[in-house]
Amino acid sequence: MAKTYDYLFKLLLIGDSGVGKTCILFRFSEDAFNTTFISTIGIDFKIRTIELDNKKIKLQIWDTAGQERFRTITTAYYRGAMGIMLVYDITQEKSFENIKNWIRNIEENASADVEKMLLGNKCELHDKRQVSKERGEQLAIEYGIKFMETSAKASINVEEAFLTLASDIKAKTEKRMEANNPPKGGHQLKTLDSRTKDSWLSRCSLL
Amino acid sequence: MDFQNRNNTANKFVCPSDRQLALRAKLRAGWSSSKTSEPLRPEEQEAIISVIRRNEEIEIAERQRVGRLVERVEKIKQHAVERGPNCCRLCGDTFGLLRPHRIICEDCRQSVCTKCSVDINIRYHTSERTREIWLCRICSETREMWKKSGAWFFKGLPRYDTPRSASATPTPTPTPGGMASMAGRDWSCPVASFTIHFRFSQGPVQSAKCKVGHSYAMPANESRSLSKLSRTQNSTLVRSPVQSFDPFLFCQFPTIIAQSHRPSECPDYDSISLTNGSAVAQLRRESSSLRRGSVSSSWSISESSGSGNSGTQSQSQSQSQSQSQYTQAQQQHCRDPLLGWLEIAISYRENFHSLDCTMVRARDLPAMDASGLTDPYCKLNIITPEALTKYTRWQRTKTVHKTRNPEFNETLQFVGVEPEELGNSLLYVALFDDDKYGHDFLGAAKVCLSTVHSTSQYRISVPLGVEDQYSSAAEMAQEWPNGKILISLCYNTKRRALVVNVKQCINLMAMDNNGSSDPFVKLQLKPDAHKNKKHKTSVKWRTLNPIYNEEFYFEASPHDLNKEMLIVTVWDKDLGKSNDFLGSLQLGAQSKGERLQQWHDCIRLPDHFHEKWHCLAPDNPAH
Repeated sequence: MAKTYDYLFKLLLIGDSGVGKTCILFRFSEDAFNTTFISTIGIDFKIRTIELDNKKIKLQIWDTAGQERFRTITTAYYRGAMGIMLVYDITQEKSFENIKNWIRNIEENASADVEKMLLGNKCELHDKRQVSKERGEQLAIEYGIKFMETSAKASINVEEAFLTLASDIKAKTEKRMEANNPPKGGHQLKTLDSRTKDSWLSRCSLL
Repeated sequence: MDFQNRNNTANKFVCPSDRQLALRAKLRAGWSSSKTSEPLRPEEQEAIISVIRRNEEIEIAERQRVGRLVERVEKIKQHAVERGPNCCRLCGDTFGLLRPHRIICEDCRQSVCTKCSVDINIRYHTSERTREIWLCRICSETREMWKKSGAWFFKGLPRYDTPRSASATPTPTPTPGGMASMAGRDWSCPVASFTIHFRFSQGPVQSAKCKVGHSYAMPANESRSLSKLSRTQNSTLVRSPVQSFDPFLFCQFPTIIAQSHRPSECPDYDSISLTNGSAVAQLRRESSSLRRGSVSSSWSISESSGSGNSGTQSQSQSQSQSQSQYTQAQQQHCRDPLLGWLEIAISYRENFHSLDCTMVRARDLPAMDASGLTDPYCKLNIITPEALTKYTRWQRTKTVHKTRNPEFNETLQFVGVEPEELGNSLLYVALFDDDKYGHDFLGAAKVCLSTVHSTSQYRISVPLGVEDQYSSAAEMAQEWPNGKILISLCYNTKRRALVVNVKQCINLMAMDNNGSSDPFVKLQLKPDAHKNKKHKTSVKWRTLNPIYNEEFYFEASPHDLNKEMLIVTVWDKDLGKSNDFLGSLQLGAQSKGERLQQWHDCIRLPDHFHEKWHCLAPDNPAH
């Protein structure tokens, strides 16, 4: 039986190579952790269905390679993402500095409506910490996005991070559809539906 | 970085236009365009292609799902009668004084009748204000479709495949076994998951018609065996698809089936809705605490407000409602199968007609405060065969403080228990956490008294279970003369502030001579170094159930909130003399039970309102 769901959210993980994007995803989808470092080839994705407010939400989470040489492939997947996780490594100052570049990358390639979130991974490595939590929070405030320190290894905040992002997207969905309703928005919605959709339908049947 | 950006006049935090993007792509300049042009190795290409293939499978499933959503709306549209301005757009009923009420749809501005429309509460996310609007079925479904398909995000419907549907093939061949049930399931599930759907199914016949296809697709005998299953089994897994089918099956299948099944089926419906009825209220409380979105809760309002429907449908509605309660109860049960253990010793003295119940000890109770400890006590009563509590006053043990493994060793005596009563009565024990601001439920146990003999002591260790109607009765027996308060908390990340919404109070104490009070609420976040974290609401004159809906901002970082405590006090405004104290509440990381949970939820899930009722305590924290 095909699994049914109410929403499909496409999420994207980006960040420098080796910050632990794949591990975060592996923790979230399989609840497991692998210590060996295998660089992601281009792109990959995992699926997990969660439930929020009695609605089944299928999360398709795209894991991207952090390496520069796959950039052309990975950027192709920005456009369809509804939520993007920006990941840095708290033990690597450089990966934190690069977050600015990744944000620019999002602005260049992703949809303007995309929901973003900043994650400082490997927070279990206290003694190797190079980026303080405050700096992470500060950066997140600067960009007006949410921030969490996570650890894929110790399973800290990984679940929470994805749930928060998903619930934010869902809240946005509802807000958008409701904001559309005050008089003129409503008309706009209606015209969109009745005209354009009909034309789509006819086009579809032609093809 | 800045050096590179110098010629970029646009704000770098604003997404560039498509034209700009296209130009950048042509120039192959800019940070995001790849500089290294090392070609992909064959094995890398293969890996990527396999990922793309996997994605394609998902895309197909998604296209079909969107297709189904589109088709649903199209079907409703096809069935719209559109007879003119004085008739309902959908069912064609004419409006009038004694006729259906005319409602103007918010989106399409056409008139529809109440049966063919849905009212939804719109909550503005910036404030707590809500507004009720009406939508016709077409528009509400369209909205739902836009939400669910992601069209709102992509600014248009994504590609979709319309299913090779029942309408296209009017006489589907009943494929045996898996395929048939697959087709049936595939269809039934989205239908079952729409809560809003119940409202439609009450309406005109055409909604039933939509279902013709798949109800026919199921071979008759299979559907029969399914409905039989639904009668015999209590498993929710089997029930859920079937129940959503049943009303339609009855509509579509020859009357023989309906007649043969209905009489046996009806009492079953009744009994279930009866047994669940009492539990529904409390379960709904749980479910409402689980829900967070504004819309999902408003759906349930519209669902329950449905009136004027025929008997069977209301039954099926309550059925499916109670069913979802069932699943929730079960999920609840699965999540914490054991809330700990309780050891009891019971003895009966026949000459005194007294039942001595010794609460010996409890083990592994749920933790209630931040340090993982609990202050448990027990409440006891006897449940008669009529499922009523025998004594109006619940017996209570002393509280054992700061432990999850309390040693009660306390004997409580029930006098006036006849020997013949023992056979069919139950001893009911509910454990609560003792706290100044409300007693949280820990667990409950039922012990059958039929095994108790007058000769020897009966010692038993029982696992504690989840809340039921008796435990809430025990909770109700709690005295809270100071009334209750409804508070909603939200941590606003944009303003970096804790938003406290004081919604309302009920059953406050009367302080003035006129038998009423003039209540207002004071809020303070402590520790308050700068003496600026104090707010108070307006005064509501001459009422014991004031409604405030006032919002206050306390600036604090989420980190600080772990150390702070919100002190809520309710006062009676008196002119010319000092204000009278009405009750208090403390919320913070030092709180316990539900109050602690609300506080944690608020920090853990920022930008969402977390609403809860709390009891007011009689002592003033300032003293």
